[in-house]
Amino acid sequence: MKNCLLCQASIREQIGLDDLFSLRAAKPTIICQACASAFSRLSATPVCQLCGRKLTAAMTDPCYDCQRWEKQAAFSFSNRGLYDYNAAMKTYMSRYKFLGDYRLRWVFMTEMKVAVTRTKRLVVPIPVTEATMAIRGFNQVVGLIDNCRFVNALTPVAATKESNQSAKSRADRLLLDQPFKLVSGMEATVKDAKIVIVDDVYTTGTTIRHAARLLYQAGATSVTGITLAR
Amino acid sequence: MINSISDLYGRQLSELDVPQKLLASSAVHQRKAVVVGRSITCSRCGSTLERRQAALPNGHYYCYVCIQMKRMDTRSQLVFADEPNQFSKPEHALSWKGQLTPMQAECAKQIVRIFKNHQRHLLWAVTGAGKTEMLFEGLNWAISQGYRIGIASPRIDVVIELFPRIQAAFKTTSMVLLHGKSDQPYRYSQLTICTTHQLLRFYHAFDVLIIDEVDVFPFSGNPMLHFGVQNAIKPTGAMLYLTATPDEQLLMQIKRGKLSVSYLPIRYHSHLLPEPTIIKVRKLEQLIAKEMLSKPILKTIRSLVRQKQRFLLFVPHIKDLAAVSAAIGHDNLQARYDTVYSADPTRLEKVSAMRHNQLDFLITTTILERGVTFPGIDVLVLKADNEIFSAAALVQIAGRVGRNSSRPFGKVLFYCERKSATIRTCQRQINQMNQRAKKL
Ligand SMILES: [Zn+2]
Ligand SMILES: [Zn+2]
Ligand SMILES: [Zn+2]
Repeated sequence: MKNCLLCQASIREQIGLDDLFSLRAAKPTIICQACASAFSRLSATPVCQLCGRKLTAAMTDPCYDCQRWEKQAAFSFSNRGLYDYNAAMKTYMSRYKFLGDYRLRWVFMTEMKVAVTRTKRLVVPIPVTEATMAIRGFNQVVGLIDNCRFVNALTPVAATKESNQSAKSRADRLLLDQPFKLVSGMEATVKDAKIVIVDDVYTTGTTIRHAARLLYQAGATSVTGITLAR
Repeated sequence: MINSISDLYGRQLSELDVPQKLLASSAVHQRKAVVVGRSITCSRCGSTLERRQAALPNGHYYCYVCIQMKRMDTRSQLVFADEPNQFSKPEHALSWKGQLTPMQAECAKQIVRIFKNHQRHLLWAVTGAGKTEMLFEGLNWAISQGYRIGIASPRIDVVIELFPRIQAAFKTTSMVLLHGKSDQPYRYSQLTICTTHQLLRFYHAFDVLIIDEVDVFPFSGNPMLHFGVQNAIKPTGAMLYLTATPDEQLLMQIKRGKLSVSYLPIRYHSHLLPEPTIIKVRKLEQLIAKEMLSKPILKTIRSLVRQKQRFLLFVPHIKDLAAVSAAIGHDNLQARYDTVYSADPTRLEKVSAMRHNQLDFLITTTILERGVTFPGIDVLVLKADNEIFSAAALVQIAGRVGRNSSRPFGKVLFYCERKSATIRTCQRQINQMNQRAKKL
C-alpha cells in the first residue's frame, strides 16, 4: 500500500484490464484515481494546430492568438500541450513550482518522456533565472524531463532595465526583449538541428517563441514545442 | 509581515520571513530547519525524511512532509525568540454570566486543578456535554496568571465556531484566530485559537494547550501534528485533550499512566444519549447505484418531512450524494433538501441554510459528523456498515441528536446490510456512557 503523492490517500495497486493484456509493465501508481481524473488530457479533444490549446465550438483553427503570431513571426512554430491548464493543473503547478515540492515531478515524468522521445528531436528545456534557481533549488522543466537526454542550450540573459515599455508596439517588444541567449559552446549542437523546446506551461506563448526565434537564428532547421500544460 | 520582536515570541519562522534588523538582535535565536546526519530530519515537524524523496538537484534536502507551511530545506534556518509572557494579569477576565450544571462545575474545577498542576489530561465528555463553557473557569485562572494559552482543533469548522464564543466570554483578553483559510494577520496574543497545523509555527509558546476533537482526522495518526503539539507547548506546560470518542492511541496513553482521564458521561441537560436503532435492509448498495432506495427508507423520509421533523441523512461516499438525492427526487417528495461534502465550494452556505430552517434535510458525508449543531434534528445513516464510518464517527453522528433541552431525544436510524463490528462498538460505547450517567 502506498499513498497518493497529491492527496495522501492510500492507493491499492490498481491494475486495469488493459494492463493485463498489454505488453507494457503495469503503470506505477503514483497518484490515486480521483486525483488522476481531475487532470484533462488534450489528446482526447480538438486542439489548435499551432499552440495546442483546447478548442471550443466558437474558436477557429488556428486560434485567434496563433493567427496574430503568424502575422508577425518570421518562422514556423507549433506547440503540443499534454494537459489542459485547468484548476487541478494550476494547483499542481503551484505546489510543484511555487511551494517547491520537487517530488511532484514524478507525476508526469513518464508521459513527458514518451512525448518528448517520440519527436526524435534535440531536446532543449527552457531555463530558469539564477534567482529562481537559488530559491527553488531546481528547474521545474528539467525536473519533468529528468529521465530524458536533453541539452541545456539556453540561458537567461541578466535582467536589463525596462526601457520605456509603453512606447513600443507588441511586435517591437517581441523583437527587442529576448530573455535568452545561447550557452557558449552550443553553436555547433544547435546548427542544422531539429529541436523540441520543453516548457512547463504555454500561457501567452511569448516565452517559448522567444526561445524558438533564438534557436532559428542560431541555425536550427526546425523548432517545435512541448509543454506539460496548455 | 514580521515587524517587531513580539511577532517571534514563542514562534518558529523561516529566516526568509524575518527582517535583517531582527535577525541581528541577541534575543533572536536560530536553528537549522533540516538537519542531515545519519538520517535526515526536519526540526519543524519532526519527520525523518527519505533521502531519495527529499533530495534537490542542487545537493540540498527539503522537508516534503510540512511543505504546505512553506518549504524548509537544509539551507533554511528556523528563527525564534523565547516566550516572555508579556501579558497583563487581570484578576477577573471572564465576562460570561451563564450557569454551569453541578456536573459541569465539578469538571470546570478539575480543569483548573489540571492547569495549576501542569498535568496532561483527557476530558472524555459525551457529545453535547457543553465542553466550551466548562473551560471558562480554567481559562480565567490561566489568564490571571499571565499564561499564554492555545486552543487547537484539527477541524477548521470547529475553530471558526469556537472563536466568537471564547471572544464573547473574555472580551478584554487579546486573542487571535489562525487557520489556513484566514486572512487575519498574526498578532502576539494571550489566547491563540487555531487549527493543529498552525501549531507547527510555534515553539515552546504555551503554558496551557487545549486540543479539541483530538481523535479526528487529520490529527489522529498524524505524527507530524503530534510533534507540532509537543513543540508548541512549553516543557512545563499543561495539556488538556477534549473528545467524546478517544482513539486507541489516547486510550493506550491512559493505560500506561502518561495521561490522566476524567469522564463526563451526561449531557448538560441531564438526559441520556439517544441510542441508535439498527435497521437491516437488503441490497442497499445496489439500489443506491441505480438511484433507488428501499421502501422503508423512503417511507421514513416521507413521514419525517410530513411531520416537519428536520434531519441529516448521512452517506459514506461523495458519489452516493447525487444518487440518493436522485432516488428521493424520483419519489416525487415535496421537500427542500440539498447535498454537501467537504470540498463543496458552497458548503458554508448550505450548512447555514440548514441552520436557518431553509432546508428540511441535508444529505451529507461524514463532514457534518461533528462541530456543527442543528437543534432538534434526527439522523439517518445509509450503509452504516460501510468501512468509511468508524465507531467514533457513528458515535459522533448519533451525538447530533437530542442536544437541545427543548427536545433532548430523537431518532438515530442506522440502515445497514448487517450489524458490523463497528456498529456494535458504537452501540457499546454509547451504552457504557449511559450506564455511567445513570449511576450519577
Ligand atoms: Zn490523490
Ligand atoms: Zn493556437
Ligand atoms: Zn517538516
